Amino acid sequence: MLKQTLTKFLVINGVQAAIVVEENGEIIESIKSGIVIDKNNLISIISTLMLDSKATASRFGSTPLSMVFVEYSDNFIILGPMAEEFYLIIIAKNTANIGQITYEMKKNQEEIVSEL
Amino acid sequence: MIEQLPEGNSIGWMQAPPQWIFSHTVRFVGIVRIVIQDGEGFILIRRGKPVYYYFKHGRIELKGNSALDYFNSHPIIEFNLCKYTQDEFALAMKVCNIEMDNSQDLPESPKVMIREPHPMPVAESAPSAPVAEPVPPAPITEPVRYSQLPKPAPVAESLPPAPVAEPVRYTPIPKPVPVAESVPPAPVAEPARHIPIPKPAPVAESVPPAPLAEPVRHIPVPKPVLSPFPVEEQIPRPLFRAQEIPMERPPAVPQPILLEESDIKLIGQIKKLNGVVAISVFNDERNILLMGDVDIEPLLKIARSMLATTRKISPLVEWGSFVHMTLQTPEGNIIIAPYQEVYLCLFTTRTINIGHIRRILRDLQLTTKIPDYE
Repeated sequence: MLKQTLTKFLVINGVQAAIVVEENGEIIESIKSGIVIDKNNLISIISTLMLDSKATASRFGSTPLSMVFVEYSDNFIILGPMAEEFYLIIIAKNTANIGQITYEMKKNQEEIVSEL
Repeated sequence: MIEQLPEGNSIGWMQAPPQWIFSHTVRFVGIVRIVIQDGEGFILIRRGKPVYYYFKHGRIELKGNSALDYFNSHPIIEFNLCKYTQDEFALAMKVCNIEMDNSQDLPESPKVMIREPHPMPVAESAPSAPVAEPVPPAPITEPVRYSQLPKPAPVAESLPPAPVAEPVRYTPIPKPVPVAESVPPAPVAEPARHIPIPKPAPVAESVPPAPLAEPVRHIPVPKPVLSPFPVEEQIPRPLFRAQEIPMERPPAVPQPILLEESDIKLIGQIKKLNGVVAISVFNDERNILLMGDVDIEPLLKIARSMLATTRKISPLVEWGSFVHMTLQTPEGNIIIAPYQEVYLCLFTTRTINIGHIRRILRDLQLTTKIPDYE
């Protein structure tokens, strides 16, 4: 069910991976298309991004994190909190439509949380 | 007097040591408007050469070296660079009662100096009425020691932004306070400011520190810190001590990291965009420039931690070069992006979304790639 929901993101032009992770770095579900990335590297990337960003956001006070966006010249990665301990990560080419991706993230947030 | 001066084209507000002004205005023609606590003043500069100093606090007016001494007594001052056209500069000179020779060179320094002991005649019955302000002249019969003015407030965040819509903080790479206040050849530090008083006679008339300058001048001259000058040579004719200060500053400023005027202008334009609260330029060692009314330290910490995160991630991905990172919170967005050889950090409201941010950064990259010299 969760995989089915994540597939909706792959339909978006340029999106190459949609991953749901838990706060401890464990990958709950992932789906990829057109991208090859080492699993260990992926876990490291996700963990680093998640934990560091959360710590950085805490410098604002008790402000929760809304989203993290890291762009490189070929790809970008978006990290968005779903529920308290779960995050949705989207990896896409830099030509992908970010607005559409973030819209789908918000739109499907409840559905993803219910499936966790 | 200040109100009569042309507005000029503002480049931006910033905070930096006074010496920064003189070392970074080599090609600048215009006015540097200065705000120190409740007082305001200015320096007229033409291509790196200060032409006139002025400062007013309440009923106290300082001109010439007194004003300069007062500026120099503050480790960091807040100022706005406003470029002048030739006509505007000529008008400003006229307002300040400074005559220019035909070559449009600097006025002879004695003319500037001589005026200083006569602030009141200008106020009382100025033939050209340069002082239109209704300041009663009586309180100023003697050039006031700058020590009578309020003491410098603590630097950094406490500088009053009131006259400034968007105060800018600038921290040049060489630590400004130590450089200005205590140049490594320690005896040079304090006196360094007074040493290069070029005109001892006129200075001595009206400038309290001048007597100090006389003996002190001989002390640092032998110091070969940065000095191209022969040991025995008197300070050359340069009219303004401020020109000497950079020469005696030991730490060399790494030129590639310094921001050009055009960069500052560009960053100022970004700052003016709707939703941009603050913008900072920083590197691994220090903050270089800050525009916006925010505390620099927390912002810098956040920016650095974001940069550290990207540095951890970048080796693990094969996605090309790092473009930018955005952290969105309900309080706002923090964005870091490489900028030339340093990094930009933007703090924006949530009205700016990722698309806007990418567009801003893309435009910035396009603009900086196009060489633009006036």
